[in-house]
Amino acid sequence: MLRRIIILSLLLFAAAANHSPARAEQSDQMADLLQGLTAKSFKAKIAAVETLAASGDSRVVAPLTALLEGRLHRRKADGAIVIVQRQDGRKIFLDALTGTPLGEAKPRASRKIRVNNRLRGVLHGALGALTLFSPDPAQRLTAAQAMFKSAGADSLSPLAKAYLQETDGDVRQVLARTLAAARLRHGGDEEKLAAAKMLADYPDREVRDLLANTALQAQDKLLAAVTVASKSIEQRLAFFDVLQNLFQGISLSSVLLLAAIGLAITFGVMGVINMAHGEMVMLGAYTTHVVQVLVQEYFPGAFTHSLLLAIPSAFLIAGLFGVFLERSVIRFLYGRPLETLLATWGLSLMLQQFVRSIFGPTNKEVIAPSWMSGSIEITGGLVLTHNRIWIIVFAALVFLLLTLLIRYTDFGLRMRAVTQNRTMANSVGIRSNWIDAMTFGLGSGVAGLAGVALSQIDNVSPNLGQSYIIDSFLVVVFGGVGNLWGTMVGALSLGLANKFLEPYAGAVLGKILILVLVILFIQKRPRGLFALKGRAAEA
Amino acid sequence: MISRRNALNTLAAAALAMSVGVSALPAQAAEDTIKVGVLHSLSGTMAISETTLKDSVLMMIDKLNKDGGLLGRQVEAVVVDPASNWPLFAEKARELIQVNKVDVVFGCWTSVSRKSVLPVFEELNSMLFYPVQYEGEESSRNVFYTGAAPNQQAIPAVEYLMSEDGGGAKRFILLGTDYVYPRTTNKILRAFLHSKGIGDADIMEEYTPFGHSDWQTIVASVKKFASAGIRTAVVSTINGDANVPFYKELANQGIKAEDIPVIAFSVGEEELAGLDTKPLVGHLGAWNYFMSVDAPENDEFIKTWHAFIGDEKRVTNDPMEATYIGFRMWTQAVKQAGTTDVDAVRQAMYGQKVKNLTGGMAVMNTNHHLSKPVLIGEIQADGQFDVVWQTEGEVAGDAWSDFIPESAALTADWTYPWICGNCRKPNYTN
Amino acid sequence: MQLKTSTWLFAVLLAAVTIIVPILNLAVPETSPLHFPTYGLSLFGKYLSFALLALSVDLIWGFCGILSLGHGAFFALGGYAMGMHLMRQIGDRGVYGNAELPDFMVFLDWQELPWYWYGFDSFAFAMAMVMLAPGVLAFVFGWFAFRSRVSGVYLSIITQAMTFALMLAFFRNDMGFGGNNGLTDFKELLGFDLRSQSTRVALFMASGTALLAGFVLCRMIVASKLGKILVGIRDAESRTRFLGYRVEHYKLFVFTLSAVMAGIAGALYVPQVGIINPGEFAPANSIEIVVWVALGGRGTLIGAIMGAVLVNLTKSYLTAAFPEIWLFALGGLFVGVTLFLPKGIAGSFGLARLIGARGQP
Repeated sequence: MLRRIIILSLLLFAAAANHSPARAEQSDQMADLLQGLTAKSFKAKIAAVETLAASGDSRVVAPLTALLEGRLHRRKADGAIVIVQRQDGRKIFLDALTGTPLGEAKPRASRKIRVNNRLRGVLHGALGALTLFSPDPAQRLTAAQAMFKSAGADSLSPLAKAYLQETDGDVRQVLARTLAAARLRHGGDEEKLAAAKMLADYPDREVRDLLANTALQAQDKLLAAVTVASKSIEQRLAFFDVLQNLFQGISLSSVLLLAAIGLAITFGVMGVINMAHGEMVMLGAYTTHVVQVLVQEYFPGAFTHSLLLAIPSAFLIAGLFGVFLERSVIRFLYGRPLETLLATWGLSLMLQQFVRSIFGPTNKEVIAPSWMSGSIEITGGLVLTHNRIWIIVFAALVFLLLTLLIRYTDFGLRMRAVTQNRTMANSVGIRSNWIDAMTFGLGSGVAGLAGVALSQIDNVSPNLGQSYIIDSFLVVVFGGVGNLWGTMVGALSLGLANKFLEPYAGAVLGKILILVLVILFIQKRPRGLFALKGRAAEA
Repeated sequence: MISRRNALNTLAAAALAMSVGVSALPAQAAEDTIKVGVLHSLSGTMAISETTLKDSVLMMIDKLNKDGGLLGRQVEAVVVDPASNWPLFAEKARELIQVNKVDVVFGCWTSVSRKSVLPVFEELNSMLFYPVQYEGEESSRNVFYTGAAPNQQAIPAVEYLMSEDGGGAKRFILLGTDYVYPRTTNKILRAFLHSKGIGDADIMEEYTPFGHSDWQTIVASVKKFASAGIRTAVVSTINGDANVPFYKELANQGIKAEDIPVIAFSVGEEELAGLDTKPLVGHLGAWNYFMSVDAPENDEFIKTWHAFIGDEKRVTNDPMEATYIGFRMWTQAVKQAGTTDVDAVRQAMYGQKVKNLTGGMAVMNTNHHLSKPVLIGEIQADGQFDVVWQTEGEVAGDAWSDFIPESAALTADWTYPWICGNCRKPNYTN
Repeated sequence: MQLKTSTWLFAVLLAAVTIIVPILNLAVPETSPLHFPTYGLSLFGKYLSFALLALSVDLIWGFCGILSLGHGAFFALGGYAMGMHLMRQIGDRGVYGNAELPDFMVFLDWQELPWYWYGFDSFAFAMAMVMLAPGVLAFVFGWFAFRSRVSGVYLSIITQAMTFALMLAFFRNDMGFGGNNGLTDFKELLGFDLRSQSTRVALFMASGTALLAGFVLCRMIVASKLGKILVGIRDAESRTRFLGYRVEHYKLFVFTLSAVMAGIAGALYVPQVGIINPGEFAPANSIEIVVWVALGGRGTLIGAIMGAVLVNLTKSYLTAAFPEIWLFALGGLFVGVTLFLPKGIAGSFGLARLIGARGQP
C-alpha cells in the first residue's frame, strides 16, 4: 500500500513537471492528478493540491472548493472522484472536473476525502491564486485575503499585476496589504524594506504576527525597519485594546441589564423575591429553540428571520406563564416577601425538572442567523462581533420601551399607583389584582426576551437561568430596588468594572473583586445607587 | 401553661419525623437478581453530561437481559440521583452498597465526585467503573478507570500539534476551568513542552471559573498572544457548560483553525450538539472514540443506542464507549469468575479484552487503566469529528505521570508482587 | 428565667435520640428489626448537623429578622477548619507519602505549607478556628453592615454576594484549599479511625449533643430579656432604636453567635460525610437552609430542627426512589407548604401555641 502511494506521488510530481500536453490528454491527466487527492497521507494530498493548482487550469477550482467544503468524495464502486451536491432535497454526484450529473448519491456509496488544517490552509492559498483574476469582486477579495498567509515567491508578479489592474477600492486595499506581505517574505532587499514600511499602515494582529515572524530571521536594516513598523502597530493596537475593552464591557452590561430588568419589575416594583426569574429566562431561550425548529420544519425560507419571530413568542410564553404563576401562587403571598422566596425557589426547581423532562438534559442548538454571526473589523485591531452588537441594541430597545411603557401608558400609570399605595389605588377604582398579574407577566415576559438574547451567546440548557440569577439580584440591588434607571446604571457599572478588571486580575479574581466592591458599596449606600425617597422607602 | 396531652403531641410529632426517616430507608430488594448501581447525576449542573451515561448503562443492561442475563440471573439496575452534589455522591454510594447491596457501580463524572466516593468504595470493598477521561494520579483497588489518562489524550494531542501535519506549533496557550483535571493536565503538558525545548515565554496558562460565560476578554488575549510570529495552538481543558459560549465567541471573533487551532479534551459530540459548528471546522478534539469512525462495532452500537433512546438525532461520545467497554469487561469477568464477588471479579478483570468500537482491542491492565487507541479529530460542519491522526496501536493508560517528579517514582500494579496503587517498592502481600 | 415545658420535653427527646440510637446500633444484633444500621447512623448524624445549622438561621431570622442568604458560608468555613485538621492528621499516609504537604499541594508544586495552614495539626487550635473563622467573618461583616443600617433584602443580597465571592475564592486552586476537589480522603480524628463504627457513633452523639446544647442556648436567649429586645428589633427596628437600645449591637451579637453555631455544625458535618469542598458555599445551599427553616416554622426553633431533618430525609428518600422526577416532589413540597402551611409545620396543626412560637411579623 505504502509503495503504491510513493509511486503514485512520484508520478504526480513527474506529471507536474511535464507542462505542455495536448488538451485531450490534459483532461485525462487532470483526472489522474485528482486521484492524487485520495492519497492516505496529508503530505501527499498537499503535493497533489499544489500540482493541481500549479496547472493554472480553472477547472480545478470546483473540485478544490468542494474538497475544502468536505463535499469531494471518492466513489467506492469505480474509484472516481466526484462532488456531492444537494439538489432539490436529495444528494447527487457530479463529475469533479466537468460538473456533469452522475446520478443519486446513496449513503455509504462514497467516501469523503478528508482534509486537515494544514491542507485547508494550502487549499485557501491555492484557490486564492486561481481566483485572483476572477470577474467577481467578492471572489477577488476572498482570494486577496487568503493569499496574505500563503503567497509564495511565484505569486509576486501575479499579485503585482492584479494590484495594478484592480478597480475595486476595497479589493485594492486588501491586495496592497497582501502584496506587501508577499514582498516582505519573498521580495528583494529593497522591496522588503519598502514592504515593512508599508505594512505599518495596517495595524492588525495578522500583520503584527507577520512582522514578528520576520523579525526572528531579519538582520540589520530590515530588522530595524520591521521593529519600527512593529512598534507603531503595537501602539495603535494598545489604543484599540482600550476601545475593545470598552465594547466588551458594554456588551457584558447589556447582558446583565437584560437578565436583570425583568427582575427589577417583579422584585423591584412588586417586592416579590422571584427565585424563578432565571427559569423565565430559560423558558425564553427554549422558546427560541422551539420556534427555530418549527420555522425550519415549515418555512425553511424564513429561517434567518426565525429569531425575529422568537422575540414576541418568548415574550408571550414567558409572560403568560408569569401571569399563571401570579394567579396560582404568588397572589396568595403578597406582603410576605420572604415566603415568595420559598415558593419561587420550589417553582424554579420544578421548572428546571420540567424542561429537563421534556427537552432532555443536553444543550439545545440555537443557530445564529447569518446577520448575527461573525464580526466587523474596524481598522484591523478592533473587532466587534455582530451578535454582541445586536444584543446591545436589543437591550437598549427593551429598556427604552419599558421605560416608555411605565412612564406614558395608562397601564404604567396604574402600575405605579398600585406599587406606591395599593389601598388608595383600589379606592380610585383600579383593579389592583389585575394590575398585579399584568405586572408580574410583564416582568416574566421581559425575562423571556432576555432568554432570546442569551440563547445567542450561552448554553440553552436547564441550568441557564441559575447562572444569571445571582448577578441579576446584585444588579437590581446595586442600582436600588424599584428603579429601572438604577438597574441600568447598575448593569453598566458592574459590566464595565468587570471587563476592565479582568485583564489584570483574571476572570475569577475580577469577579470576586466586583462582589467585594458591591458589598462595600452597599455599606456606603444601604439602599442602592438610586434609593427611593420618602414614604416608599420605609415600606 | 400547656396541658400534658399537648406536650405528648409534640413528642409524637417529633418521633414521627424520626420514624419516617427509618422507614424511608429503601427496603431490602429481592436476592435472585444481580444488581448494578448507577451513580450519575440526573439533576444539577452535571446532569447535562451524566444523564447520557445513565441511559447507556440501562441500554447495556437491557441488552444483556435480552441475551439471557448473567450467570443465569437477570440483571437489575438501581438508579439514584446524586444531584451534582459531591457529599451526596458519597451518601448515595454508601446507600447503593449497604442498603441496595449492589454488586458493582457504574458512575461519577467529575474528579471531585470520584474523590468523594473513593473512601466509601475502599471501606466497603465494592467496585466502581469510572468512565471519564481524568487527570490520573490515582489507582484505587476498588476502581476501574475506563476513560483516558493524560498520556492517552493530552500528550499525543500536543505531539500532533507540534508535528508537521498538525501545523508545527511552537507556542501554546493552555486554557482551562480552574479545577484539578486542567491543573494537573497543564502541569504535565508544561513539563512535556519543556522537554521538547519550548520555554515558559511561549506558554500561556489561563484559568476560568466553572460555567464561565463571558469569553470576550480571554479570546481577545488568545489572539494577542498568538500574534508573536510563532505558530500558536490552544489546548483547551475547559469544562462542559463553559464550552458553548467559548466556541461561540471563538467563531464570532473569527479565530480560524488554520491560524490558531484549538484542541479540546472535554469537547465531544454531545457538547457540539448545542452548537452551530460551521464556523468551527478544523478545530480539534482528542479522544479514544469518535462517533464518525467507520467500524462495524460502532455502527451496531449507534443503532442500538438510537433504538433504545428513540431518537435518531442523539449522538454517541467517548465516555459512552468507556462505559460500554467497562460494562462488557465486567460481564466477561463475572462470567469467568462464575460469581459477582468483588475480589474474584477483580482478579478476573486483569487482562480482560473487549473490542473497541473503533477497532482494535481494549485491554484492562493491572494498574486498573485501559490500553486504548488515541484518535485526533477535526470538527466538521455537521457536528462530527473527522479523524486526522491516530496512534498505531493501543496506548496503555499510565496512572502516575512520568512528567510529575513526585509521581514518576510511583507504580500502580494490583497483582503480585506489587499489590499496590502507589508504591515505590513491591508490597508482596495484601 | 424560666423555660417552658415543651422546651424541656423536646430537649429530653433530643437527648434520648442521642443516646438510644447508638444503643440500637451497637447493642442490638443486626438481625433484629430494632437494629439501627450504621448507614442510617451517619446519615442521621449529618441531618443533626444540618439541624444545628438551621437552628442558627432561625435564631437570627426568626427572632431578629435578619435574613441571611449566606449562612452556608459560615457552615463551610467551620467545615474547612475541621477539614484542614483532618488533612494534617493524614500525615505521610497520602498517596505521595509527603508528611509535610497534603497531596493536592504536592502535585500542584507547592514547596511549603502556606502560613494559614500552620497550627492545624493541633486539635485544640483547629477547634478554636472552627468557631473563630466564621465568628470573626460574621463580626466584621456584621459590624459594617449593621452600623450602616443595611437591612431587609439589601442585607440578604449582600450576604449572598459574600458567600458567592467565597465560593469563587475557594474554587481557585491558588488559594491552597484544594480547589474544586476540596479536602477529602480523611483518615482519623484524635487517633480514632473515621471508618470504624465506634467513631461514627461518637460523631453521631457529638452532633446530637451539640444540637441539644445549641437548642437550649437558643431557647435561653429568646426567653431572656435579650430575646425580647431581639423580637422588638424584628418587629419594629426604628421604634426599638428610639427606645434607646443600640440595635446594631444586639444584631451583631446574635449574628456572630449564629455564625459560630453554623461553624460548629460544619465541623461536625465534615468528618461524617468525608469531604468538604467549595460547593458548600454555593448560594443555592444557603437558600436551601432558609427553606428548611421556613418549612419547619420560622421563629420556633423546634420547627427549624424539624424542617432540616424532614427536608433532608425527603431528599435522601426521593433521590433514590424517584431519581428522575424527585425535583418535582421537592419543589412541590416547598410551594405547597408556603401556600397551605404559611406558618410552617411547627406553626400549624395547633402546634404553634404549644411550642411557644411567637407571632410572625
